[in-house]
Amino acid sequence: MIRFNDVSVTYRGGVQALRNVDLRIDDGEFVVVVGLSGAGKSTLLRALNGLVPATSGSITIDGTEVVGAQSAELRAIRSRIGMIFQTFNLVNRTSVLNNVLMGRLASVPTWRSTTGLWPATDTEIAMQALERVGIVEKAYVRAADLSGGQQQRVGIARALAQEPSVMLADEPVAALDPVTSRQIMGDLRRINREMGITTMVNLHYLDLAREFGRRLVGLRDGEVVFDGDIADVTDETFRHIYGRAITDDDLLAVDGEPTE
Amino acid sequence: MNGPTIAARPTRPRPGARIWVVLGVLITYTVFAGRQVGFDISTFWNVWSNPLWEKFWPVPWDWVLDWHNVLDPLLETFQIAVVATLVGCGLALPLAFAMSPLTSPNRTTMVVSRSVMNVVRAVPDLFWAKLLVTAVGIGAFAGSWALSVFSLAVMVKLFSEAVDGADPRPLEAAKATGGRHLPVIRTGVLPTVLPEYVAYGLYVFELNIRASVVLGLVGAGGIGRVIEAQRQYFRFDRVLGILLLVFVVVIVIEQVSVAVRKRLV
Repeated sequence: MIRFNDVSVTYRGGVQALRNVDLRIDDGEFVVVVGLSGAGKSTLLRALNGLVPATSGSITIDGTEVVGAQSAELRAIRSRIGMIFQTFNLVNRTSVLNNVLMGRLASVPTWRSTTGLWPATDTEIAMQALERVGIVEKAYVRAADLSGGQQQRVGIARALAQEPSVMLADEPVAALDPVTSRQIMGDLRRINREMGITTMVNLHYLDLAREFGRRLVGLRDGEVVFDGDIADVTDETFRHIYGRAITDDDLLAVDGEPTE
Repeated sequence: MNGPTIAARPTRPRPGARIWVVLGVLITYTVFAGRQVGFDISTFWNVWSNPLWEKFWPVPWDWVLDWHNVLDPLLETFQIAVVATLVGCGLALPLAFAMSPLTSPNRTTMVVSRSVMNVVRAVPDLFWAKLLVTAVGIGAFAGSWALSVFSLAVMVKLFSEAVDGADPRPLEAAKATGGRHLPVIRTGVLPTVLPEYVAYGLYVFELNIRASVVLGLVGAGGIGRVIEAQRQYFRFDRVLGILLLVFVVVIVIEQVSVAVRKRLV
């Protein structure tokens, strides 16, 4: 279980990205977080794995406190949380397999990961992660040579290789076309259901949020202004979260519409 | 449909008077400085009409192309350059990572490594050579050490820029997996800057070939020592032969290095 208790984040320079956030997320939930850019979606996810330190409040994962955790403690927390990024964040100049093996860093001795002599068991875990997202045949291809959708699948495989209990996805489809976006969201939902990994996804597109989310959290100026079942969400809810009327830019597209 | 209102085009800004002032100051000071040190452009011809230049010809090729006289010391120069490049660049790798705000494990490491490199860089390579010749005696050993320090300084300067400019996104991803600092840098940053590292290493090797010739002049071994000895005997014909040979070697190594570097970056 994940708990945010009165969490605030203020960046150096005084920008307050999160204000007194309270959230409780049960194991196996699939939560979609929406809000305008700058509303604090990214900060919310990064506060959970300590990439952005919370200024005040308490964040716990299965009872372990994240706020204030240092070195070994923080690494242990991070190793249980997989993260997927908007820009994939792969090492372009190395192979897909090497990128996925990065997910094993916390479990492998330093001398092995530094020399590249990965244990066979960890290579096996990485291969299985690639199989789960359906691109194991690309294992020895350079990451830069893949399409955007394939690169994001490598990103998912890297997170899966951690064997995580929580998955964070920060705008995972913002750099992808509508068809690929649906496939990637489908992958995330499938992984959530089959493996029971608690998943938090930041999204911009409201139709995607409706289609894939079960629970919706709305952020506005760093505050949680909506938290509830996706079935109860109306256009009025989105207007409230966004603070303005919904436009076409907030929608991905109709089903399967191709793009250039 | 109404287009945007068309604004008047701006007039092209003129270079202004500043450039002439700067140029004027520069010329005036050059003339002044030349007077101060007794430089006279007319002495240029005196330099070239000196009978010294006749001593450069003809080149005694059988002496120059002799193994013991020239080729062996030249090989020594090459070896000094190889050793110095490997040692200097080897040390530069961890140092550059320690110095960059992106990859340094902590602030203390960053400040200390930066201070050390500032001191190393502040001392000229010829002075390092003299210092090491005094410390470990005349010969290739001192030359290798001096050139290693020189390589380290140059490599850190060049490679640090590549590290500072590395893509921070894979690094963030590596951090998010919960890895330790060293493996995170190794897997998240090193592969992204490795081609630059090798390219700069080759460039440093080129510099080292040329520098090790100069270092020989102060007793640090290699072909430079032979040049210095022949100069003292006024055997400028031999000196010219050696210089032509060195010139060919440097050109060949540079061409190979440039070709490899082009493929890398």
